[in-house]
Amino acid sequence: MDYDAVVIGAGLGGLSCASVLARNGFKVLVLENTGQVGGCCSSFDHQGYRFDIGASIVELKWVIDDLFHKLGKRTEDFIDFIPIDPIYGFFTADGRRFSYPVSIEGTREVIAGFSPEDAIAWDRFAEVGSEAINFAFGKVMSESMGTMKDMLRVAAANPKLAKYLKYMVLNFESVLCKFFKNDTVRASMSLQSYFVGLPPALCPGYVAFLAYSEHEGIFYPRGGMIGIPQGIADAFTQFGGEIRFNSRVDKVLTDGKRACGVELADGTQIRSNVVVSNINAKTLYLQLVGEEKLPAWAKRAIKSYEVSIPAPMIMLGLDAKPDLDAHHSFCYATLDEMNRIWFEDYANNRVPDGGFMLISWPTHADPSLAPEGHHCLNLVSFAPYDLADGDWDRDREKYLDTMLGLLEKNFNLKLRDHIQVAKVNTPKDFERLLLHPRGAVYGLQSDITCSAAFRPGARSRVVKGLYLTGASTHLGGGVAPTIGSGMVAGDFILKDFG
Amino acid sequence: MKNLKKALLLAGLLGMAAAYMAADDSTKRYIAHIGKQVPYLPYRYFI
Repeated sequence: MDYDAVVIGAGLGGLSCASVLARNGFKVLVLENTGQVGGCCSSFDHQGYRFDIGASIVELKWVIDDLFHKLGKRTEDFIDFIPIDPIYGFFTADGRRFSYPVSIEGTREVIAGFSPEDAIAWDRFAEVGSEAINFAFGKVMSESMGTMKDMLRVAAANPKLAKYLKYMVLNFESVLCKFFKNDTVRASMSLQSYFVGLPPALCPGYVAFLAYSEHEGIFYPRGGMIGIPQGIADAFTQFGGEIRFNSRVDKVLTDGKRACGVELADGTQIRSNVVVSNINAKTLYLQLVGEEKLPAWAKRAIKSYEVSIPAPMIMLGLDAKPDLDAHHSFCYATLDEMNRIWFEDYANNRVPDGGFMLISWPTHADPSLAPEGHHCLNLVSFAPYDLADGDWDRDREKYLDTMLGLLEKNFNLKLRDHIQVAKVNTPKDFERLLLHPRGAVYGLQSDITCSAAFRPGARSRVVKGLYLTGASTHLGGGVAPTIGSGMVAGDFILKDFG
Repeated sequence: MKNLKKALLLAGLLGMAAAYMAADDSTKRYIAHIGKQVPYLPYRYFI
C-alpha cells in the first residue's frame, strides 16, 4: 500500500479527518482538485482584494476547539478569530434599518421596538435555544448517527434530546410563529432556513434555533475564511500528512466490495487501506465508485436525495466604505415571501425579483483583505440552477446588474459608483470548481428524511473501507457540522483500523 | 380483539386525517413534502 489513507478533497471535513488520522500515526495523503485548501470555506486573491468563496462566518466555534483538542493542539496557535458584533444588520422593504447585537439583552431591546410581546418571547426563545443547542442538538455535532443503535445511544446519553424532538417534527415556520407574532421579527429570523437549502415551510424546526446560537458568538478568521482550513492543514502537515494540489480523483478503486485506492485524472493509481471522501455523496457513489458497481437498492437510495438550492455569489471590490451596519446584512423578505420564492420562482426556474439577499462585509472585521480605504463585499442570494430565460455562463453580467438594481430599488443601497472589481460565481462555477452537482454548496437537502441515519453514512455500507465527510453526510452543511463530520469519520477509521 | 384492532387503526387514521385537515397551509406543505420522501427511507437508511 502507498498510504494508510487517501482523502479526496481538502475541504473542512476531509482535512479534519486527515488530521485526526495523521495524529494517530496513519500515513495520509490528501488529494485536492483545486490549488488551495478549504473547498466552500476558502478565499482567493483577485486584483488586490481577497474574497471568500462561500462560507462567511463561524458559529458554534467550540466544534473547532474540540478538533484541535483532539489533535493535542490549541486553536489560537493556528487560527486568529475575530469576534463579530453586531450579528446582523437588516434592510426592510419599507426602508427601515436595524441590527441585532450579540447580547441577548441588546437584541431584546431592539425587538421591543417592534413588539413588547415578542421581546418577552425572545427571552423564552433564547432560553429554549440555549438548552436545545448546548444540551441536545449540539451533542450530536461530532457523534455518529448512522444507525438506529447510534441514535438510541446518543439519545440515552443526552436525555434532553427527547424534550426537543417536537422541533424536529414541526417545521421552521411553525417554530418561529409559535414564539413570535410580529412579521418583522419573524422575518428577521427567517434566513437560516435557506442555510440548509429549504424555505421556512419545508425546513425542520430545530434549524430555527440557529437564530439564537449566533448569539453565543460568531467569528471571522483573520486573513479570510481560508484561515480555518489552512490552520487545520498546518496541524495536519505537522503530523507528517501530505497534501497534493491540482490532483483530481476520477475513480475510487475497488477490489470486490472493498475500496483499495483511487485513480487520478492523469491515470495515476494510488493504493491505500482506507479512502475518505470529502466530495458530494452523489458524485462519489454515482461517478467515482460507479453506478454500475452499486446494488439496485443503493442506486435508488443515492438518486433519491435532492440537492440543496444553489447560492450564486457576487464579489465586489469597492473604493469606499459601504453604507452598512454589520459584517452580515440581510435584505429580508417575510416568511410568506420566502415560501413564495421557493414554490413559485424556483419551481419555475426564475431568479426572484424581491432582492432577498445576504451581504457579507469581511473588511468590516479585517481591513487587511483590501487595499487601504477599500472594501470587499459578497452578495449571496439563492437562485435556480436552470434558468427559464437565460444561461448562467452567458448571463452572469446580467445577473450582476439585476442584483445591484434590486438593492438600489428595494433597499436604497447604491454600490455601482464605487465598484472597482466585480466577479460572479454562478451555480455552474460551483459545480465545475467544487464538483457540487447543480452547484449545491449546501450539499444534500437537510429535511428530517435526509438527516441522521437517513443521510449517507460516514462509514459506507456499500463499499467497505470507504468513509464519507462533508456536507453530504451527518450533520450537513456549514463550517462546524463539516468539521464534526471529519471527526466522526476519523473515529470510525481508528476503531476499524487503529 | 381483531375488530378492536381494526377500530383502533381506523380511529388513528381518521385522527391523522383530521389533524391534517385542521393544519395550516405551511404545515400541510411540510407534511406533503415529508410524505413524498417516506418511501425512500428504507433505502436511505442502509447507504
